Formats: sequence, C-alpha cells, structure tokens
Amino acid sequence: MGLARLRSRHLLHAYLFIAPVVLLFGVFRVVPAVQTLLYSVYKVELLRGRFTFIGLDNFRDLAAEPAFAQAMVNTLVYVAAIVPVSAALGLALAVLFNTRFPLRELFKAVYFAPMVTSTAAAAMVWWWLYNPQFGLFNVLLRLAHLPDQPWLMSSRTALTAIIIFSVWKSLGYNMVIYLAGLQSIPQQFYEAAMIDGAGPIRRFWRISVPLLAPTTTFLVIYNGILAFQVFDQVFVLTGGGPANATNVVVLDLYRQAFERYNFGYAAAEAAVLFALILGITAVQYLYSKRFEVAY
Amino acid sequence: MRRLTGLLAVLAVLCLLPAFASAQAKTTVTLWYPAGDITAGAAHFADKALFAEFEAKHNVKVEAVGLDYDTMQQKIFTAAAGRNIADILFIDNGWAPGFLKEEMLEPVADAKAKAWLAAVSPEIKELSDYGNGRMWGYPQYGIDVYGLTWNKEHFKEAGLDPEKPPRTWAEFREYAKKLTKRDAQGNITRVGYAIRHVGHPHGIVHKHFWALYSAGVRLVDDPLLLRGGKAIINTDGGKAALKLVLDMLDVDKSTSLNFPDPRAAFLKGIASMQISETVSIKARQPKEAPDLKWGMALPPAPKAGDAPVSLLGAWVYSVPKQAKNKALAWQLIEWLNSPEKDYELCRKYDASPRYKVNWDKEPFKSDPYDQALKVMYPAGKKLPINLGFNGVMDAVGGAIQKVWHHEAPIEAALAEAERQANKAIADAAK
Repeated sequence: MGLARLRSRHLLHAYLFIAPVVLLFGVFRVVPAVQTLLYSVYKVELLRGRFTFIGLDNFRDLAAEPAFAQAMVNTLVYVAAIVPVSAALGLALAVLFNTRFPLRELFKAVYFAPMVTSTAAAAMVWWWLYNPQFGLFNVLLRLAHLPDQPWLMSSRTALTAIIIFSVWKSLGYNMVIYLAGLQSIPQQFYEAAMIDGAGPIRRFWRISVPLLAPTTTFLVIYNGILAFQVFDQVFVLTGGGPANATNVVVLDLYRQAFERYNFGYAAAEAAVLFALILGITAVQYLYSKRFEVAY
Repeated sequence: MRRLTGLLAVLAVLCLLPAFASAQAKTTVTLWYPAGDITAGAAHFADKALFAEFEAKHNVKVEAVGLDYDTMQQKIFTAAAGRNIADILFIDNGWAPGFLKEEMLEPVADAKAKAWLAAVSPEIKELSDYGNGRMWGYPQYGIDVYGLTWNKEHFKEAGLDPEKPPRTWAEFREYAKKLTKRDAQGNITRVGYAIRHVGHPHGIVHKHFWALYSAGVRLVDDPLLLRGGKAIINTDGGKAALKLVLDMLDVDKSTSLNFPDPRAAFLKGIASMQISETVSIKARQPKEAPDLKWGMALPPAPKAGDAPVSLLGAWVYSVPKQAKNKALAWQLIEWLNSPEKDYELCRKYDASPRYKVNWDKEPFKSDPYDQALKVMYPAGKKLPINLGFNGVMDAVGGAIQKVWHHEAPIEAALAEAERQANKAIADAAK
C-alpha cells in the first residue's frame, strides 16, 4: 500500500470519527446561527410561515429604539464590571490556594460549588437573600449599623446586585484556571528571584502576573463572551427591571421574540450582539499576542 | 421450514400489535393551565374527578398539564410553531391579543357565542365579547375583579372606621399616612398602601389600572379594536395618576419600594391596604393569614362624585388552531361551561358563577363575598384587545417604573410611553 493511500485512509478514518460531532454541531449550532442571521433581514411571521424581505429595516428600528440602547449600555456595564472583577478575585484566591494550609481542598470545593450549581436555582436563593425586609444581606447591614439597601428593588442598585451574584457564580471557575496557570510556572523562576532578594509581592507582580498572561487572556475572552450573553440571572432576579435598569440584550431579544413575536427584530439584535462579541474577541486575541510566553 | 413459518407468525403478531394497541387506546384531550397559585381556578384541574363524567361519556382521557406561569406564553407560542400543542389552552385574557396577532386561536362558533352572551351576567358578557359578538374562548367562573382590600385591625388601631374604606384619592392618601408604622430609626415597618413596582410590566399596569383609567387614561381609545386606534396616556389625568403614588412615596412616605409584592405584604400584615385581584386574597387568606379580618371595596376615585374604576380579568378556555382534537376540545369546553356545571363547580370550589340564572340561586344569592362582587362588577373594565397590546403594556409599565424609581420626570416618561405605545399599535396593524 502506497504512502499516499495510507495517508488518505488515515484521513478518512479521522473524518469518520469526528463526523457525528461535526454533524450535530452543524445541525444544532451552525444552521440555527445562520438562520438567525438570515432572519435579521426579514419580517418573520413564524406561525403563518410568512417571511418578507425588508433589508436593513430591523437594524434601523434597533438604532432608533431607546430600549435597545439601554439594554446595550447595561450589557456593556455588566461586561466591564464582571470580567476584571471576577478575574482579579479569582487570581487572588488562586494565589491563596497555591499555598498549603489545613482543609485547603474543602475550601477549594466550597469556592467552586457555585460554578456547578444551576444559575436559576442559585438566583432564586439570592432573590431571598436580597429581600429588603427579611434578606440576609440587610440583616448583616443592620448588625453593622449600616442602612438597609433596596438591592433588586431599586433601579439604582439592581444591576450592581446582579453583578455581585455573577461574580460569586464565576469566581470558582476563574480560581481553578488561575491555579492551574500558577502551578505550571516553573519554580526555578521564583527561586532565582528569591536569591536576587525579591519579596513575595515583587515576585507576584514580576513573575506570576506576566507568566499568567495567556491564562488571563483566555479568561478575559471566555468570561467576556459569557458576560455578553448574560440572561438567566437577570431573568430570574429582576426580569430586566426595575424601569429597564437591568434589561440586557439577550433578555430584550428573548422578549421581542417570544412575548411580542418580533422574530426579525430579535434576530437583528442577535446579529448585532454576535458582531460585537466577534469584534471584541478578535481585538483581545490580537492584542494578547504581545503577551505570549513560553517556558 | 417449520422454523421459518414460526418466525413469520411471530413477525406478523409483532406487526399487528401496534395496530391492535392503537385501536384500543383512548383519545387524549390535553389541557394546559398555569401551575401554582397564579389563579384560584387553575388549581381545580388537579382534581381527578373534575373530568371523570366527560371521560366516561365520550370514552376519552383528559390530561391537564400544569405549566410554569412565567414562561407559559412562550411555551404555547413555540408549541404552536412546532405544531405540537395542547387541545385546550387555559390562558390569561391579557395574552389573547398576542395570540390573535399570530392568528393562533379558533373562534367560538357564532351560534354558541350568541347563546353564551345572552345567558351570562353583564360582566362576563363584557369579558367574552371581542366586538360584534365575536368570541375567542369562554371565561372561567370566579373572574378577577380588582378591588381595594384593607386590614380591619390596622384601621381600628389607626383610629379609622374599619367598615369605611377611602373613597377619594385625598382620603386614600390620608388613610395611608395614618396606617404607616415606623421603627425607632424611622424605617417603615408597615406601609399604609403597598404598590407593585417590579416584575413584568403588565403586572405593574394591572395594579395601577384603577388610578390610570379613573383619571381618563386609555391604553387604546377603542378597546374592541383589533387593529389601529390610539393610546391616550400623556394627559393631565395620567400625570395625576402617577403623581398620586409618587407623592405617597416621597411626600407622605406612606408607601415604599421595599415592599414589592402587595398581596404578600398585605397577607403578612406589613401592608394595611393594597389593590389587586380580590379573588386571590379570598383564596390565599385562609391558608396564609387565617386570623386576618379584611374588607373589600372598589378602588378610590380621583375626587368625590367621580366614578371609580376596577379592572376585570379572566382566565379563558380557548382552542388553538393547531390542536389535534378540536371537536372534542370544544365539546369538553362546552360541557365544563354549561349552566349546570357552572353551578355545580362554583358551589364545589366556592367561586362566583357566570350564568344569570345561577346568580339567583343559593348560596350565591346570599353570600356576602359574591354580593359584594356584584356591586363592584359595573365599575369593571376589561383590557383592550388590540394586536399591539403587549407593546402598549410594556410602554406604560416602563413609564410607571421610571417615575416611581425616580428615573424620569412624569411628563417625559408619559410622553415616551405614549410614543412607544402608538408605535406598537401602528406596527401591529401593518
């Protein structure tokens, strides 16, 4: 058997093995995504099976709609807050867990638990924690002689309350990824720095942080993509209110599609969000190439 | 050869089995309703005996399935799009415009609608008739009438007559001030009046409908118009209706944004007055607040001599166009909504009937709750049926929230709401 033939057989087997995954991914991910992009230039009447091409009208309506503008601003605020805060806290915890202390594994599991808890179920519990009269947070504030906060009940504090919940939810994952990153940094760098008289803070800033750049890049991109798609916690905790203060793009498109049956308009919102995520991810990726490290 | 014959015989039996089984299987009529405490009437579907007589008579099985209320509309829509929907939908009448916009519901046959409208009491007729005698479903017994409910003990404690509710907005503010309680630090521990200001915008509009409508606001000028029409929101009356609560929040401090669920607050004793569906208080009070003594009346009017307004709502039995067993579905609905069943089920579940003839019978004739409802019914108005209704409700609910949360001044919020509402009406009419 010739080498070329052997190679093509090898390729055929490889493709056959990945075919089921590619097929499922295509049917359940690629096709709906392409369909959604197509819907954005149509007036879609799903039950009547009527699709009317309207060009960019849905996008023009979006641009003129203050509710969408507010949803976009809320989403950007959410992303800008949650990505750096959860990454920084995750890194702090990872540094802590990178040292040895009693019950370390138990605490690690405790911090990671929110990640594997259903968002909707956890949000229901937090809804009660945030209750202005009976919730734990206001009880703690009262014990500290601080004024009660309205949390989810006020348009001024509701988005912050959702961000706090989301940080709690994503912290464990960031911690584990950073911990893996920290443990892969060769010890000789730290030993050399110690011989040169560098203290722990200097070692952290001069060795750990730069060598964790690829991990940070991954987390920023990953958390950024997830944050742009925030939905569950907003839906359960506030439903987008009060006064649209927590309305985010995915919730708005869900409402447009499934409560007002404006599928074309909702698809246009999805297309804008897709373009935004793609653009920001591409910029982050290209920018992060400057920080690539090898050891 | 013998083996082959045996094998063929087994195969033949296997092939015939499904056919035999399907010949024996009963047709199943499915009904979707909201699970939980959303509406008192929906809980009755869990009663296995409810459909027994119909099932025996028609040799069918009736399967009632409880759905999550918050996502029920969306589930119905996606199920309709997937052509895999229940035969009967038990829906909030406020959802009907959205479904009609998508031409999703079957109309009630003209002759049946005519007979129903002639036999039921006026408020049921108002809720059933979608213009010129057109009906899209049958409202269930025990309809929602929004009323002011108050805690009689709190009234006594505040030096108010527990049998005399406030009749005007000025009285209402005075009463609420007297009923509010604070702790040593000045924090409100009991509100005079609890408002709904969070959650779905529709719910927020429902709970403030009484003030908006009695002040002249109209969500759509012609409530029976499916397409077109105009929202009348940004008016002096509209501004006054929003200012009423804003003043209670900021000036009187007799209500608070920290008491988001008026009914729960009322039943927990941390709100003295609230305005919502009276049927819900009636259903929940025995379980949640057995010692509570409460009164019920129409919401206050802007000033003495003005007519008070209440919101009429109902849950409706309807049949989707995509239903597989339409004929059976209508038969079941007609059976459930016959005069005899209306009487029997209202007696059994302590609900108020719909047929005029049943109102003249005991226990409804002398039941104080039913008779109080009868007094309130004429002030009731139902929500418009316009195809742009969802957009109108979102706009008005958003404006109320913005004002009460101090996100926008009243004039600006109402102007924006009117613009959005009229756009929704115009878009839906295209």
